[in-house]
Amino acid sequence: MIHLSEEEMTAQVYGEGDEAAVKGHLDRCAECSRAYAALRSDLAEMKFIEPPERDAFYGEKVWASLSGSLPAYQARRGNWLRFGQWRGLSYAAACVLLGACTFIGGRIWERKQAQSTAAIKPEQKQQQGVQAPPHEHVVVVVLGDHLDRSERLLVELKHADAGSIEMVSPLSEEARSLLADNRICRLNARHEDDPALATALDHLDHLLQELADQPGGVNAATLARLQKEINADGLLFDVRVLRSRLPSQQAAASGQTKGGTI
Amino acid sequence: MNMNDHAAIQAVLAGDKEAYAALVVRHSAKLFRVAFRITGNEADAEDVVQDALLRGYRKLDSFAARSDFGTWIYRIAVRCALDKIGGSKGNESVPIAETTDQQQDGMQIADQAAGPERLLLSGEIGAMQEVAMHGLTPTERTAFVLRHLEDCTTEEVATAMGIPPNTAKQSVFRAVQKLRRRLATLKVKT
Repeated sequence: MIHLSEEEMTAQVYGEGDEAAVKGHLDRCAECSRAYAALRSDLAEMKFIEPPERDAFYGEKVWASLSGSLPAYQARRGNWLRFGQWRGLSYAAACVLLGACTFIGGRIWERKQAQSTAAIKPEQKQQQGVQAPPHEHVVVVVLGDHLDRSERLLVELKHADAGSIEMVSPLSEEARSLLADNRICRLNARHEDDPALATALDHLDHLLQELADQPGGVNAATLARLQKEINADGLLFDVRVLRSRLPSQQAAASGQTKGGTI
Repeated sequence: MNMNDHAAIQAVLAGDKEAYAALVVRHSAKLFRVAFRITGNEADAEDVVQDALLRGYRKLDSFAARSDFGTWIYRIAVRCALDKIGGSKGNESVPIAETTDQQQDGMQIADQAAGPERLLLSGEIGAMQEVAMHGLTPTERTAFVLRHLEDCTTEEVATAMGIPPNTAKQSVFRAVQKLRRRLATLKVKT
């Protein structure tokens, strides 16, 4: 049988360790039981000198001897001051942080907005009525000027003499110049659903095309054919009518420019 | 925590030095009792009480409000008493033993003070246990006083002395062992 050590018995006296196991062993082992009883007896016999009683004023006496050497707690106030400073700094830091977050957030939002705007397809732009970018070249053709020039050309062409054909040659140059403007005006007339103007400009386009396509100059036969077309189609009359109609339209449009853009 | 203690501490920390008087009056007697048991000397115990209360005052701003001031100042007093009898770190590396102890390295020196036998014979001390206590190291003596006389648990002893619980338990056991042997020897001599 393994007996209890003195340490285990001491722990048992003070209510520590495995009390149940030690107690069980003590019940079975007479030798350990005697040793344990002796230990308890020795400890019970230990009577130490009791501390001398202090009178009722002991605390006051201690305080009297102590109070002179105690500084008032200024340090605590300093701590509170320091705490106040820290609190102020914390508020300032929070404000700076808030400002920084707002700034960064604004920048991010701005970028996202720019990206979403750029992501709109050109078709969508057209549907939404978004204006063309400013860098796009714009050509404005004023219909009134175009019709004036066309009328002059048609008059000169109608009254041209086959005997002095050299007088007709500059008209080809003028025709080429009017051709581009005429196409713009045609497109605009179709876009604005003006069939009378569009038809007249179609006829004009055909004639200008023939006149412009004479690199060696207009010969007598060509001149006669073109004069015949002008008279047959009543093209000069149409141009004059359209020209006469134009001022009233312009007034109604309150200064809106009639023409087209590229 | 005692609300009166708490209020007094708040007042002290707010700059009212006089508020500490209430704490001194309330806890001095208990501090004296434990200090006397550890030091075994009335004058030293008085010094320990003052030293402990002074240290407590200086460290009051670091005192956690959720703790009990009585327990806190009690631990400070135990440490002060331990310092007083030379039990602080560095003083125990070579314990001074009156008898050769097989379990503990030590050195024997000539005791210039009155020996136990002389004290017993002179009848100056009625309780021979006090004489036996001289054979304990400061740590053993303090641990034994707290465990046997102050009814502290091993954990409380360890906390008060700032040592691991197992060391506290071993110190108590060694103190009991030494005291029994010493008392047995003294009983034979008488």
